[in-house]
Amino acid sequence: MKIKVMVLAVSLVSFSGVASGFDFGKLLEERINQELNKDKQTQPAPAQTSPSPDASQSAAAPPPSAKQKIDAGQLGFALFGDYSPEEETRIGKQIAGNLLGAVPLVRDDKLQRYVNLVGNWVALQSGRKDITWHFGVLDTEDINAFAAPGGYIFVTKGLYQRLNSEAELAGVLAHEVAHVTKKHHLKVLKQSSLIGALGQAASSKAKGSDQVVQNLIGNGAEIMARGLDKNAEFEADRVGIVFAARAGYDPWGLPEVLQDLAGLPAKDSRTSLLYKTHPHPADRLAELGDAVGGRLDALHGKDLPGRFYRLR
Amino acid sequence: MKTFLIPATLLVLCVSAASAFAAPGTVLRNDKLYSQPNAASKAAGSVAKGASVNILSKQGGWLRVTSGKSTGWIRLLSVRAGAGGLGGAGLGDVVGAATTRSDPSRVVAVAGLRGLNDEDLKQAKFNADELARLNAWHETPAQARSFAAQGGLSVTNVAALPAPQPAQTPSTWEAN
Repeated sequence: MKIKVMVLAVSLVSFSGVASGFDFGKLLEERINQELNKDKQTQPAPAQTSPSPDASQSAAAPPPSAKQKIDAGQLGFALFGDYSPEEETRIGKQIAGNLLGAVPLVRDDKLQRYVNLVGNWVALQSGRKDITWHFGVLDTEDINAFAAPGGYIFVTKGLYQRLNSEAELAGVLAHEVAHVTKKHHLKVLKQSSLIGALGQAASSKAKGSDQVVQNLIGNGAEIMARGLDKNAEFEADRVGIVFAARAGYDPWGLPEVLQDLAGLPAKDSRTSLLYKTHPHPADRLAELGDAVGGRLDALHGKDLPGRFYRLR
Repeated sequence: MKTFLIPATLLVLCVSAASAFAAPGTVLRNDKLYSQPNAASKAAGSVAKGASVNILSKQGGWLRVTSGKSTGWIRLLSVRAGAGGLGGAGLGDVVGAATTRSDPSRVVAVAGLRGLNDEDLKQAKFNADELARLNAWHETPAQARSFAAQGGLSVTNVAALPAPQPAQTPSTWEAN
C-alpha cells in the first residue's frame, strides 16, 4: 500500500511539474501522510479541518491555463478536509447519474415509491439527517445493490425479484444505507483512486454532468466496479442489520438474502460483479455470526411478506 | 372417509413441502444443536465447523438441520446454504466449482441472462433524465413514519454490534 501510494505520489509530482509551476509535491506528501496516519490517530491533525493558508496561496498563485484540468478549486475539493454534505451530494449525483447511464430505472412508479418508503424508514434509523435519501430499482437481471455518497441507493431488479418479504428488502437497503453513513466510498475516493483520477483527462461532457467531480471519480461509474475493502462490507452488514432491527423489522432479512445468494451456482454471470466487489456470502455470514452471537435473540421484528411489492 | 382424506392430503403436502425445502449447507463455526429454536432449550447435539448439514426448515434466526444422526435447531448465521462448503477463503471454492461443473443444467439455466460488468460501468455516460426521475421520488420522514405505522413497525432499541477483535495485537501507537 505504501509503495503504491509512493509511486502515485512520484508520478503526480512529475505530472505537476509539467502542468504548472506550483508545488504539488509537498502538499501531496503532507496529505498522504495525514491519510496514512488517520487510522492510527485518535485526534485528527489540525491541518485536516481546514485548508492551510499556504496551500491555497500556492495553489492560487499560477495563472490557470485554459486547458488545465486540475484547477485550484478541484484540488481543494479533493485533497483537504472532509467533504461537506453539499460536496458529498455533488459527488453522489455524478456517480448516480453515471450508473443510470449504464442501466436505467424500472418503469414502475408503484414499485419505486414502495422502495423509497421502506428505504427512508430504514434510513431514519441511521441518525444521518443532513442528506436526502433516494432509492431506485435498476432495470437489469444482474444481482446487486449499490450505494453512492449523498444517499443514492440502488437495488437491481435481479436481486429484488429474489426477495420474499419487506424485511429482506429492508435488510438489503440497510446494508447500503450503512455504506453511506459510514462514508465508505468517500474514504476510497480520498485515499487512493482520487490521486490517480487527478491526472486523468476529462472524457464525458454530458449535459448536467459535473466535470470537476467526474475528474475525481474516474471513468463513468467505474467506482462501482472497483468495490470497497472487504472490511467495509463486513461493517455494512453489521451496521445494516442493526438499522433494519431498529426500524422494527425482523433482523434476519439480510442474512436470509445472503443465504439465498450463497445457494446460487458459482458461475452465474448475474453475480459476477457482486462477487468481484464483495466477499463471498458464506464469509459474510460467518463474519456477521461472530458479531451477532445471541445478541439479537430477544428481538421479534416484522417480516411483512404480505405487504412486499411483488415484481413480475 | 372425507375426514380421513383431508389429514392424509395435508400430510402428503407437508412432506413434499419439507422435502422441497431440504437443502445442503455447511456449518461455519463449532456450534450447538438445540431441541427448539431457542438458546434456552435443551441441547440436541453439536456440530463442528465444516460439517455438512441438511437444512429442513427455517424459523426466525434459526434453521432446523440434520447432521449425521442428530436433528436440531442451529443459529441461522452458523450455517451457509448451498453446496459450496466453507466459502471464499476455505476449501469451499473447489467444492463449489466441482458442483457447478457436475450440474450443467444449472449453468445453462442462467446463461441467457447477462449481468453488469466493468466495461458497462466504465463506459457509462451521465444520464440527466434518469437522475431527474430518481430525484423526483422523495419521501419525507413524515411519509416514511406513516408508512411504517401502517405496517405495524415501530422503532426498537437495538445496541450497535461490536466490531470483531482484530486477529493481530493492535499497535500501541496511541499509547506512545
